[in-house]
Amino acid sequence: MIFPFSAIVGQDEMKLGLLLNVIDPGIGGLLIMGEKGTGKSTAVRALTELLPEIDVVAGCPFGCDPEGYLCSTCRDSLEKDGELNREKRKMKVVELPLGITEDRLVGTLDIEHALKKGEKRFEPGLLASANRNFLYVDEVNLLEDHIVDLLLDSAAMGVNTVEREGISFTHPARFILVGTMNPEEGELRPQLLDRFGLCVRVTSLRDQDSRVEILRRRISFDTNPDGFLGDWQEQQDRLCRSVMDGRKRLGGIDTPEAALARIVSITTQLSLDGHRADIVILKAARALTALRGEQAIGQEEIREAAMLSLAHRQKRMPFEEIGSEMVKVEQVLSELSP
Amino acid sequence: MNFCDFVGHDDGKLALILNAIDPRCGGVLFAGERGSGKSTLARLFRDLLPDGLPFVEVPLNVTEESLLGVIDMEETIRRGKKILQPGILGRSDSGVIHVDNINLLPPSVVSLIFETQDRGIHIVEREGFAVSRRVRFITVATMDPEGGAFSHHFLDRFGMSVLWRATPTREERMEIAQKAASFPAGKHAGDRGQLEKLGLRIVKSRQLLDKVSVSPVIESYIVNRCIAMESEGHRGELFLLYGARAYAAFCSAEAVTEEHVEHVLPLVLGHRARLGEEMEEDRARNKQEGDREAPHEQREHGGHEESHGDEPSDENLNHGEETSPGGENQAPREMREREPSRREQVFETGATFEVRRIILGKDRIKRAVSGRRTKTVSQGKSGRYVRSRYGRNNRDIAIDATLRAAAPFQRMRGRNEGEAIIIRPEDLRFKERERKMGHLVLFLVDGSGSMGARRRMTETKGAIQSLLLDCYQKRDKVSMIVFRRDRAEVVLPPTSSFERAAKRLREIPVGGKTPLSAGLIEAYKLVKQMKMQRPNTRCLVVLVTDGKANQGLTGSPINEELAKISVLLAGITTTDYIVVDTEDKQNLMKMDLAPQLACQLRATYYLLPDLRSEYLTGMVQKAKNPVSHHLHAIDAPFRL
Repeated sequence: MIFPFSAIVGQDEMKLGLLLNVIDPGIGGLLIMGEKGTGKSTAVRALTELLPEIDVVAGCPFGCDPEGYLCSTCRDSLEKDGELNREKRKMKVVELPLGITEDRLVGTLDIEHALKKGEKRFEPGLLASANRNFLYVDEVNLLEDHIVDLLLDSAAMGVNTVEREGISFTHPARFILVGTMNPEEGELRPQLLDRFGLCVRVTSLRDQDSRVEILRRRISFDTNPDGFLGDWQEQQDRLCRSVMDGRKRLGGIDTPEAALARIVSITTQLSLDGHRADIVILKAARALTALRGEQAIGQEEIREAAMLSLAHRQKRMPFEEIGSEMVKVEQVLSELSP
Repeated sequence: MNFCDFVGHDDGKLALILNAIDPRCGGVLFAGERGSGKSTLARLFRDLLPDGLPFVEVPLNVTEESLLGVIDMEETIRRGKKILQPGILGRSDSGVIHVDNINLLPPSVVSLIFETQDRGIHIVEREGFAVSRRVRFITVATMDPEGGAFSHHFLDRFGMSVLWRATPTREERMEIAQKAASFPAGKHAGDRGQLEKLGLRIVKSRQLLDKVSVSPVIESYIVNRCIAMESEGHRGELFLLYGARAYAAFCSAEAVTEEHVEHVLPLVLGHRARLGEEMEEDRARNKQEGDREAPHEQREHGGHEESHGDEPSDENLNHGEETSPGGENQAPREMREREPSRREQVFETGATFEVRRIILGKDRIKRAVSGRRTKTVSQGKSGRYVRSRYGRNNRDIAIDATLRAAAPFQRMRGRNEGEAIIIRPEDLRFKERERKMGHLVLFLVDGSGSMGARRRMTETKGAIQSLLLDCYQKRDKVSMIVFRRDRAEVVLPPTSSFERAAKRLREIPVGGKTPLSAGLIEAYKLVKQMKMQRPNTRCLVVLVTDGKANQGLTGSPINEELAKISVLLAGITTTDYIVVDTEDKQNLMKMDLAPQLACQLRATYYLLPDLRSEYLTGMVQKAKNPVSHHLHAIDAPFRL
């Protein structure tokens, strides 16, 4: 039983960050930084219900995109048969546990098959199930270095290449990385930080009414989950619909020249290196426009997208107060407003 | 001895009882000194569980493998099929996990336990297994704060905590001694009747639980109390509600009342709320005083909670409410640092600079790492199984990899279905393990009045900040001890949060005498603790002082005292020392005490300005400084 996404009180930025990634997986994931006990994990796990169906090659353990990059097996059968069978599959949230070993992450020799048939066959790992799905790492800053290296590797290439135990195998491994961390528990390596498209900070809600509401919903979910889910079904359906509509509309969103100029002037004023920030802001703004049912990217969408995209891309001196980096972003944004 | 025979510590018993009634209360942590009976009571929790439910101990040497499960070698080879031997987490379903000294476990292990508890699903993704199954358990843990810090993040996961005082009342002491003497070890004696009664009451409470109502007024009351106590996150109110409800059921009440909430509030918020620590301490103090004043009070033990002599008094609780955030009474940590005193000053952190490489020279430490790591790998089976290797002659066989290597050849070697797998020497694969080499840089900072002269402290803080920056870039852990007035204090337990380090640095006040001995002793304790927790940790102690010790510990001459302690410190393996002398060498009254200390500690010695990186190239300038030159000469092969 999963706590419904629509029943999560407050934390709008975090929820928006997740939804935008569902609408456009190209945004590249979300890093949620925040205090303990603020519902980070609850939100990510709740996302499962809102995820859409996607086209996959039928029977492929990697969920290859029939139109995209294929795994070795799918490539072979395309060559042989000239076409691939398709099926629909729901996207999912794959969790990466902290204690994972290398062989389970990248995959290894299928030992039972080898015993029975005397043949070497690849047994897919977690990266295989994560392909075209959300990959969720709780407390991502506690992940072992050698696991982070492997993650970064396949995140950069979009491909997982396995060369071990006499097995050579390549399969697509494109995933939407969602991580949570508590900055007090230590930092994240810059390369990994950069892999996250968006970043939000969550703190516990301060006002009494919201906290009472959180408590009430949690208790009633714990005591009678079915009843609770029933009560929230309508809200949940509505949210689902608007996300699906958003996905459909995404391709048709207009990007006025002015919007591009605006994005670029934000990033130049903040003297950000590279083009990643520009692209992420644009994608996020477009997804937001689609989610809201608008036709063209407006100033408000750019503002919100920038707030989500820049928190972790600002050059922050290691000793500056957490959150201080956003002051400059806000300043630049307000100066740009007409 | 059974649960009801245990004398005193009624809060601890109540916490366990409430968890037995409703596991949603979120587990219990007992924090207190060694030998105070924490673990004894924790183990007696078993008495409250229905028969047959698992009670699993997590030993200190636990590895991820034993927690999550490993490949069952015998069965796997015999049956030719991968068989998982369940680990501690897999064996704990609907029972209890007991962790003694949880603060001494590696954080990765602790987070595995909580991750599993939180999710209610046990996931194994290792050695070729991908298993997940539902699992629910209650975590009961103990810790001795002396043993090392425990992250707040982890603390928050516990529903309840009890701060233990080792000093029971006279009556309690007598009773404990009497009971202990009358129970021969291992013999299960005692009054079963009382325990049975308690057991029945718990069963009854469990049945009542769903019928206990929680009014909206009470919900608001709970939230308001959490806000007033500055409880971080939203777990506080949830656990408070479950705790109060379980308590109401235990009292056979139909609805949760404010009294029920107040009764469990210290258990739930003590470790969570910013004002909780203070409240706990006040409460314990009051309790002790109360006990002393009323020694005749008949203490009934045995789980009759209504008979508590230590109901949280309104006075304490109001105290909590009145304390406004940002007022004088911040969290105790801050408070201690900001002890109001007219003669104290807090200097700003001065300008930072690039630190000379020599101090935490990357290559020096790296050499040490690889050197040690090789040794560790060949040594034994501790550490994390990272990957398997072909042909390394030790006994740490990687079964999964070995089986994989042998598997394709089984038909060729003539194995029939159902027979044991045929393994040849060339199939053997060995585990390559990695032990995390921690680097801890411990700043031992002189906060005495003499450091305040001519804003010396501003410059010093700038230098420390620069060193911190250097550590940050090298991903070291840092810690900070300040000594001043009559004692030394760990103001920053080992952490990798540099925000926190910088904040603590800014807050260091200056004033009072120089208890250098106390500072060194505190550093010794901290380094030792660190070594116990992670034996491979390499420590670097940076002592920042002008060396003018004038407050001893023992009453013997201070320089003798310092010499003795220095021997102690210099004797710790894989720990290096740097002394940064902050004395004003232009001053005619200079005493040059720090170089002496550096010699005794076998430390590398620097004058404050020496830390700047441009001095590295200026060999001439270094040669001009006789003291520093002299010491470098002594230590040359060791250091450079």
